[in-house]
Amino acid sequence: MIVLEQITKKYPGQAMPAVDKLSISIPKGEICVLVGPSGCGKSTILRMINRMIEPTSGIVKINGEDVTQKNPDQLRMGIGYVIQQIGLLPHRTIAENIAIVPRLYKWPKEKIKQRVDELIVMMGLDLEKTRGKYPAQLSGGQMQRVGVARAMAVDPPIMLMDEPFGAVDPIARTHLQDELLRLQKEIKKTIVFVTHDINEAIKMGDRIAIFNAGKLVQFGTPEEILTNPVNEFVEDFIGRDRVVKKLNLYSAGDAMQPIRCVVKENELGNAAQKMKEAGAEVAFLLNKAGKACGHITSSDLDEFGKDLGGLRKRIGRTEKAFVQTTTPFPDALSLLLEYDADYLGILKGEELCGMLSFKGIRKHVYRKEGE
Amino acid sequence: MSWENFRFALFEKAPEALLEHSMIVVVTIGIAILISIPLGIFLSRPRFKKFGLFTMNILNLLQAVPGLAVIALALPFLGLGMKPAIIALLFQSLLPIVRNTIAGLLGVSSDVKEAASGMGMSQRRILLEVEIPLAIPIILSGIRTATVYVVSMGTLASFIGAGGLGNLIQGGLTLFRPEYLLVGAGLGALMAIFLDRMINYLEYRITPPGM
Repeated sequence: MIVLEQITKKYPGQAMPAVDKLSISIPKGEICVLVGPSGCGKSTILRMINRMIEPTSGIVKINGEDVTQKNPDQLRMGIGYVIQQIGLLPHRTIAENIAIVPRLYKWPKEKIKQRVDELIVMMGLDLEKTRGKYPAQLSGGQMQRVGVARAMAVDPPIMLMDEPFGAVDPIARTHLQDELLRLQKEIKKTIVFVTHDINEAIKMGDRIAIFNAGKLVQFGTPEEILTNPVNEFVEDFIGRDRVVKKLNLYSAGDAMQPIRCVVKENELGNAAQKMKEAGAEVAFLLNKAGKACGHITSSDLDEFGKDLGGLRKRIGRTEKAFVQTTTPFPDALSLLLEYDADYLGILKGEELCGMLSFKGIRKHVYRKEGE
Repeated sequence: MSWENFRFALFEKAPEALLEHSMIVVVTIGIAILISIPLGIFLSRPRFKKFGLFTMNILNLLQAVPGLAVIALALPFLGLGMKPAIIALLFQSLLPIVRNTIAGLLGVSSDVKEAASGMGMSQRRILLEVEIPLAIPIILSGIRTATVYVVSMGTLASFIGAGGLGNLIQGGLTLFRPEYLLVGAGLGALMAIFLDRMINYLEYRITPPGM
């Protein structure tokens, strides 16, 4: 756990302190995102944790120990550090770059090589092709992967990341974010993550700390912050579409409703009756192979009646209206709009396990809002 | 012009002169490197940066004094021979190396230094493993400039009895033997070009492939 107590940082020649009497505890094993407009002191805070910057007053404690009691180099060796500019050593190969901290720890050569290979693979890079390359030969996204791998080399319990994905293109950024989240599920590090992008903060953070002018404005889970912004500044910062942003916090599985009625494709003629019996608004169709292949609603049936051809056409339109339990709400909503449907089937792998409706999404978000 | 004089200058006189000249160049540049690189490193450290401007001004001043004057001034203080010549030449060869050492070290990207320091590399380690390797091509180019300089300036060293290719040139002038002049000046030029190319190649070889 990282605890900052009454931390103030004043730069010489500046009237306002960059960080003003900040106290915050960052829990173990979580991603804590520091977010705020530029110049709000978030990077300064991050850099005071590994003593790249010394606070003017106040104490930083890691697991109860005051960091100023430790040798700064020793301290930093035990904390992963990733910066936006990456800062790979241009005269060293990728493998050598990743091996820097293990070498500082004087690991035996074999162990270093093994760990480097493991990390290159873990970061989704081609082992044989990447190992001997120089940083200038990689793309921005690949370089930042190496940057993250390098910070994780000795498996430090704490990682500090200063706008790590700020300089890569949006597609690579999404990939890197997803991968970090996936990794975090396994490695459970305490990550302090600085960004100025509220969307990134919502996506990455278990907890978000919003700063303005050197002061902590709000600290809480993304849900808390999106639901109850404490003041106008936070409201403005997270944007007018905060409820839409909140959609990102949930996935289809959260608002899953049971399916009442399933119809085989060749029994389409009996669908109306079956639905009536089950009291269902919607029926999902299975093809001959038992795979879900679309759905019909009672209004479709009213519209087409006995015209099976027309009905089939209508069903064909919903052929791809399925999501996985893990699909985030915004993607699901997008599909609902795309297919002009009221329902989506939810799959777990290949198997149909429930459904998602507009109403369900609305209720789920509303319920959360009301909590 | 006679072939006989030319042959004599090239085969009888030149080998010794060339050897002396090489000696002057190698020793001068060797000492210059030993002084300049540590000085450049020292002046590039944040703590001592304030001395940088002062030192550079002195070196600039030394550089600005015409070569012949430096050699002539060395005579009353240091006497005759190779030693005073080397000291005089030294004054003139420090600047390019110090300047390039500082430029090279300060030119190392601050991102790289920040990342290195953030990983827990000590300042000493960063200097040895990051800054110097990255600055070496620029330092070498300073050494190259200084070397070419000393080769050409070295021809003046014969005025205070240091020998070298200057002897041939001086001889040629006093004896009205253009063959001597040609051999002395020509070999001097070739030597300068050769060393320039050689160090340039070294720079190319030593620059890490990623850069």
